[in-house]
Amino acid sequence: MNVAVIKTKAEQAIPELFEKVADTLPGGAKAAPARREAMSRFAAIGLPHRRIEEWKYTDLRTSLKDALAPATEAGLSAEALTAALGPLAAVAGDRIVFVNGIYSAVLSTKFDSSGLLNVAPLSEALASGLANLGAIGADEGQNAVLALNAAFVTDGAVISVADGAEIDTPLLIVNVRAGKTAQSTATRNIINVGTKAKATIIEMFVVAAGATANAQANSATEIKAGDGAEVVHVKCVSDAGEVSHLSNWLVGLGTGTVYRGFQFTSGTRVTRNGINVTYGGENAKLDMSGAFLARGSEHIDTTLVVDHAVPKCESRELFKGVLANHSRGIFQGKIIVRPDAQKTDGKQMAQALMLSPDAEFDSKPELEIYADDVVCGHGSTVAEIDEDLMFYCQSRGIPPGTARALLVQSFIGEALEKIEIETLRDALTSTTLDWLDETKA
Amino acid sequence: MLEIKNLHVKIEDEERQILKGLSLTVPKGEVHAIMGPNGSGKSTLAYVLAGRPGYEVTEGDILWNGESLLEMEPDERAAKGVFLAFQYPMEIPGVAGLTFLRTAANAVRKKRGEAELTTPEFMKVVREKAAKLNIDTEMLKRPVNVGFSGGEKKRSEILQMAMLEPTLCVLDETDSGLDIDALRIVADGVNALRGPDRAMLVITHYQRLLNYIVPDKVHVLSGGQIRKSGDKSLALELEKSGYKEYEGEAA
Ligand SMILES: Nc1ncnc2c1ncn2[C@@H]1O[C@H](COP(=O)(O)OP(=O)(O)OP(=O)(O)O)[C@@H](O)[C@H]1O
Ligand SMILES: [Mg+2]
Repeated sequence: MNVAVIKTKAEQAIPELFEKVADTLPGGAKAAPARREAMSRFAAIGLPHRRIEEWKYTDLRTSLKDALAPATEAGLSAEALTAALGPLAAVAGDRIVFVNGIYSAVLSTKFDSSGLLNVAPLSEALASGLANLGAIGADEGQNAVLALNAAFVTDGAVISVADGAEIDTPLLIVNVRAGKTAQSTATRNIINVGTKAKATIIEMFVVAAGATANAQANSATEIKAGDGAEVVHVKCVSDAGEVSHLSNWLVGLGTGTVYRGFQFTSGTRVTRNGINVTYGGENAKLDMSGAFLARGSEHIDTTLVVDHAVPKCESRELFKGVLANHSRGIFQGKIIVRPDAQKTDGKQMAQALMLSPDAEFDSKPELEIYADDVVCGHGSTVAEIDEDLMFYCQSRGIPPGTARALLVQSFIGEALEKIEIETLRDALTSTTLDWLDETKA
Repeated sequence: MLEIKNLHVKIEDEERQILKGLSLTVPKGEVHAIMGPNGSGKSTLAYVLAGRPGYEVTEGDILWNGESLLEMEPDERAAKGVFLAFQYPMEIPGVAGLTFLRTAANAVRKKRGEAELTTPEFMKVVREKAAKLNIDTEMLKRPVNVGFSGGEKKRSEILQMAMLEPTLCVLDETDSGLDIDALRIVADGVNALRGPDRAMLVITHYQRLLNYIVPDKVHVLSGGQIRKSGDKSLALELEKSGYKEYEGEAA
């Protein structure tokens, strides 16, 4: 059945906005055809809505009412960057910084092309033809959010780690939004980690003091981890305001790759974290976990597809969310085990801690198993703060507010423990405690 | 001084009365033992002293140093010096024992108007007190009570007690589950806290504990009331004859 849907205000505005800025977008003539193709694809499919199964709980036709104009350049001092990073400033690493989706050379580390590691802004790589927007394109299919990203993308990090290179210093892809004008940004990272190489990549999304409360971010990361590579990949979103954050991670693993992914989300009005993982070789190990905090009428959706196409691979997922007030958390986790993928070992768990009876958690685990010799399991729990534990803490003199904080920390800590970088784990713990402090019952 | 006056307690949303007019006085500097059959209400009394939700006091009062505890939150009672060592200590995954101890110790210090302990000060105190209880500080880096053996949990309760320096100590079957050596260590820990400013209420099923923590008085709790009080020889008597003569309601 093909129902002609009336285009929403945003759906109508987006192609118009595109025409206005198309000529100014980086990559010039080299990238223009891919951008136009993506735009026409978007125009055909429109914003995802609840009648599309994967978007059942997150209807962008209603939650993305207006299309905001692409952000423009904004200055940001080093001090303002540190302030924007808050607790995350303590995480050491080499930085590639984007302010309003535009590369900032002053705030970024000077990367020399050692041959082991290459880091460049996408804007430059597009202009020189080193990167193209078709890279993700093949997988984009009906993904309207990715299509929008390809059409509007201004910048991002292009990272390649040479075969056998062990990069100990974490690479921090820092995205800061600044300035008083309502804005949209589209960024894309293209990451290649070579055979038996090691790398740690941390994406951060933060907001500068005094920035507009009205913003839309669309971010995509394509990461290919080669055979035997060891990759740690984290995304931390710590924003505030009427902010939407639409994200896609496309992860491809090789033979024997060990990949540890983590996503932390707080402070956004609407978040959609799309994660797609495909296995290209046997014996790969995936741990994809996350923590999210929502309050007010915030909405955080994590939709994950792990596609086991080859045998003997492992996948582990643990997502934990704290939901206050009228907020809503969504976890959709699909594990596909294709007929050839014998000896697959997959385990998935999603848990929510409800701080209010009005909060909602929708969890939809899906196992699609076409092989017979596999071990796969999933689970989902919803709980409130344990009254007995509250009493135990209070009987030790701990006031109710602090006791609650300890118990939330206890809950979320199990997910944060997945992060091996101590400074990052501590930063996210303190972000959680600050969040709790500011959250009204 | 602890004064429990004609205390009547029932479980919220239930009809059944558990404590039915219990009266008991423990002067400062004294240790009183409470013994009684299973289900007689010993833990209920301990929880009501500490302020656990879910229990309703329908009549009577509990005064500590002349002040009623009944309207106070559990953390306020702790600040006033009340401490309960749980019969079944609880586990808190994801919160390190040291974090918990420090949060608790500094919370009560703050409420008592004392200076909070700095990290080095706290570590020094905790190391000393843990060593006395034969607790490895490595164990305290683990989440509170998670994966601890029964005996380890009980020792960890006594460490918490030592850190909080309470003036009214209620020990609910702290001896259950302890091996002979641990029993002696825990008893030494408790005895170290005995002093003219402290009152203690020790709930136990075994006369053996009272050889180590010698009580000033022993009370028999049965049918929701104190049915008999005596000196330490009462415990020996109970060991021989059991609770037969205290069965059923008080006359
Ligand atoms: N929360 C509760 N809900 C329902 N019944 C309860 C509750 N707490 C206690 N009771 C009941 O009250 C009675 C007294 O229990 P309590 O735990 O105080 O006994 P006790 O003397 O400590 O026993 P034991 O020696 O076995 O530890 C028991 O019959 C018990 O089942
Ligand atoms: Mg009991």
